[in-house]
Amino acid sequence: MTARFGLIIALAVAALLALVPWVASPVLVQFGITTLLLATLAQGWNIIGGYTGYASFGNSVFYGLGSYGTAIAMVQWNLPFGVGLAFGVVLSVAFAFLLGLPVLRLRGHYFAIATLALAQVMTAVVSNLEIAGRNVGLVLPLLSGDKLFYELSLGLLVLATLTVFWLSRSRFGFGLIAIRENEDAAASMGVNTTLYKVLAFALAGVFSALAGGIHAYWITFIDPVSAFDISLNVKMIIMAVFGGPGSILGPAIGAFVLSAISEVLSTEVSTIASLFFGAVVIVAVVFMPRGLADLVRRIRKTGWRYFSENVKSHRL
Amino acid sequence: MHLLLQILVNGVLLGGLYALMALGLALVWGVLNIVNLAHGSFIMLGAYAGYYLFTKLGVDPFVALPISMVSLFCVGYLIQRNILNLIARAPMFNTLLITFGIDVVLTYLAQMIFSADFRTTNPVYAGDNFAVAGITLPLVRVLACGIALALTIALWLFLSRSRLGRAIRATAQNLGAARLYGVEPRLIYALTFGLGAALAGAAGDLYGVVSQINPYIGATLTGKSFAIAIIGGLESPLGVVVGGMFLGIVESLTALYIGPTYVDVVSFGILVLVLIFRPNGILGATA
Repeated sequence: MTARFGLIIALAVAALLALVPWVASPVLVQFGITTLLLATLAQGWNIIGGYTGYASFGNSVFYGLGSYGTAIAMVQWNLPFGVGLAFGVVLSVAFAFLLGLPVLRLRGHYFAIATLALAQVMTAVVSNLEIAGRNVGLVLPLLSGDKLFYELSLGLLVLATLTVFWLSRSRFGFGLIAIRENEDAAASMGVNTTLYKVLAFALAGVFSALAGGIHAYWITFIDPVSAFDISLNVKMIIMAVFGGPGSILGPAIGAFVLSAISEVLSTEVSTIASLFFGAVVIVAVVFMPRGLADLVRRIRKTGWRYFSENVKSHRL
Repeated sequence: MHLLLQILVNGVLLGGLYALMALGLALVWGVLNIVNLAHGSFIMLGAYAGYYLFTKLGVDPFVALPISMVSLFCVGYLIQRNILNLIARAPMFNTLLITFGIDVVLTYLAQMIFSADFRTTNPVYAGDNFAVAGITLPLVRVLACGIALALTIALWLFLSRSRLGRAIRATAQNLGAARLYGVEPRLIYALTFGLGAALAGAAGDLYGVVSQINPYIGATLTGKSFAIAIIGGLESPLGVVVGGMFLGIVESLTALYIGPTYVDVVSFGILVLVLIFRPNGILGATA
């Protein structure tokens, strides 16, 4: 299956998904909005984590800046939603350049921990800002239109996925993959690694910020703890890795599958839903460490042996 | 001046416990190259072990400490032997994800078993203070800090003097060479991870005496342990003590002079700065 063919199918699926709010129940539409935004976040993480190979735990900062940018613009300055979204994006890109630049010099675990710490710092900073409503947060004007938010979220996911599709065949994307495979070699081959890394971080930030802004206006209430939630960041990583990091459709599919699993579990066996979610993550990492995308590609050749071969190649 | 001295002493006492919290994380990270996101949940389990031994069986928390350590050792050993050993050679994301999965499972198991209520292990002497040269010293915190330091020294002696400790360090330096000298990596990995969990168990037992606990404290404690391990560096237990004391003092000073809500800004901000400028820790060699 070529990437182009897959993309055509994906666009057809997206067109079908666009019809959902006109036929489905309100509960399903709300589930759809959440899932589409999560899929966008996973796709955004894919750019920095999957393509560039930098395990960012700071993408939730972009999401939070997007939420707060939108909320501050709409509540404190009475500006329209679109301007708020743009303001959130500007904040995120500024963050990517100012703080991403020094932190992107770190590699491996150290990069992961530094971004994790940055996320903690941002939560604490925002909860001390008067303009951001301190600990209490901000209440946005109410716009009850789940259909609109659903279509906005879907449009954003399509845009993010098309961007990743472009990455997979552009010079810029090849540069990112080269950085992931061997950063020193990439630099010696003339890739401006610093610029590429910051641009990838900022690009991931743009999509995450837009998702945050849409979510803030939809949910109409934001506070520092939930806007900069680290577990949201972990969720996007899990979804991207479960689907297949560094693939075009993997992160989106991973987000849909995992959201569906956790939704079904929480209605069927609510008390132990989270526990099962954790167990699913453990089993998935052990048996299919390269995600669904790789599973689909390879299981036809090797069948059930695929799982034991994964375990064999990573076991001590 | 007197107030400042009191704040510094409080910071040092807090720092001792912080060091013990981070010690197991740093050991596992340094030796096995596993960043254990479930470390805070191990501390939480250790705290519940101490709490139940005290409330149900009347065991003094300081007597319960070794029991908590042994229980957590078993938990850690089994997790490494049966789960983490299966992915020891997988890419870094995967180890982060799997320990996160373990963290989720432990947190919600704890919630089902222990309920979400806040608890404190509260022996009769919990409120006792004594004073030295005008500085108030809470008895429990002094004991906790002392035990934390004793365990740190014990770990340092174990790693540098004992045969098993040397096998652990050899594994960290060169897995292939260690194997040639008859070290069994699967066993060493499980023992090391168990040891890290046992130290978390000790920290948890003491934490339950000085603070409130519930099933969700793990994430914050993992974050703090990271900060300390990074600030102190991963090379030696001594560095972790310095990191713990440093964080304890900085947090106490921040709470007094800037405001309690800025504690996290300052401590995590320092972590980021240390990572950028001295990635091997304050004591470590420059990058």
